[in-house]
Amino acid sequence: MTAGSQVSGEVVTTAPAEPQETRADLKRKDNRAWWLVLPVVVSVAFTAIIPLMTVVNFSVQDVFSPSDRVFVGLDWFYEAVRRPENREAFVRTLLFSAQVLLVEIPLGVAIAVAMPRRGFWVSAALVLVALPLLIPWNVVGTIWQIFARADIGLGGWTINNVLGIGFNYTLDSTDAWITILVMDVWHWTPLVALLAYAGLRSIPEPYFQAAQIDGASGWATFRHIQLPRLRGVLTIAILLRFMDSFMIYTEPFVVTGGGPGNATSFLSILLSKMAVGQFDVGPAGAFSLIYFLIVQVLCYVFFTVLTRSGR
Amino acid sequence: MLEWMVWTLPTALVFVGLALLLVVMTVWARVSPPVARRGFLRIETDRGDRLYIGLISAAVVLTAWMAVTDLSMWLALGCALLVVVVIGIWG
Repeated sequence: MTAGSQVSGEVVTTAPAEPQETRADLKRKDNRAWWLVLPVVVSVAFTAIIPLMTVVNFSVQDVFSPSDRVFVGLDWFYEAVRRPENREAFVRTLLFSAQVLLVEIPLGVAIAVAMPRRGFWVSAALVLVALPLLIPWNVVGTIWQIFARADIGLGGWTINNVLGIGFNYTLDSTDAWITILVMDVWHWTPLVALLAYAGLRSIPEPYFQAAQIDGASGWATFRHIQLPRLRGVLTIAILLRFMDSFMIYTEPFVVTGGGPGNATSFLSILLSKMAVGQFDVGPAGAFSLIYFLIVQVLCYVFFTVLTRSGR
Repeated sequence: MLEWMVWTLPTALVFVGLALLLVVMTVWARVSPPVARRGFLRIETDRGDRLYIGLISAAVVLTAWMAVTDLSMWLALGCALLVVVVIGIWG
């Protein structure tokens, strides 16, 4: 939010044009402050870059021990992209992320718009909405694992006995999928709602007064004033929700363990089975590098589209 | 000391190459500061952005190549480098 946008009710929508920097200007700049980034570089190297290099090394070898290993070239990569199980898990994870975004973003924005803007109910609504965010992943998993059970869970029992619909997430793959999706919506829509609410609160009052004078409808106000102003926070919300849902592990692990069959085996569950369960570090290394590449490409595309399309 | 990292010559060369690339880009930026402009990607990029986009695209080309065809990976590498060059110059 620019400082100029709130000056005595006067609305400034365009930033003054920045003076064009010439090549000579750029050369004259004192760049020594960049050395201050060094501690971050060192700690990131220690915690991320060096381990990642090790993963790369593992991904081209069959390692039995550091002294007993065989170079296998790209074999693990071929296996990672060609094994039907992996491809299915990839499609499944992508589908899950798409559904999560399609449900949580509109729902979160709707909740934010419906939340009170002032008065006592602001705090009450904030606490209520934020509550699911405070619960740790595995606890959320446990809550839903019990809640959705057909025999002793309140939700599962109600669906089966009151609504009369057969629902059993341990046997039926659609039911398992729906359980995981609803659980994620329950857990993370509040994050979108809070971000959107913060974005809405930062819109200066004169915008709404102007809309009122023009006789704009509620929808028009939302479409032309609130939604454009939410671009920044929604970018963050979409990125966070995409990355988290694409890497979701704990909750499906607790609720379904990837089953029934492979119905909820997302990429992360498959990967951890490979790396931790079977200790196949070579294939797991190749697999995680491709996983990393997908996350990076999709995030970069999202980020670029969302931040640069407005210009 | 580096035994646990199980280095191999090819992976070491790749990382040395990446490090050199960063050094070259830094020196190049010092000699002649990058200028942002718009190419066929339709977004404003400077040469560092285009290098990043190019490298990521190259990785995608290599991965997709392995997923769909049995043709030689050297051919894939050629295509990937072509992608880097095309994006670097006209992107």
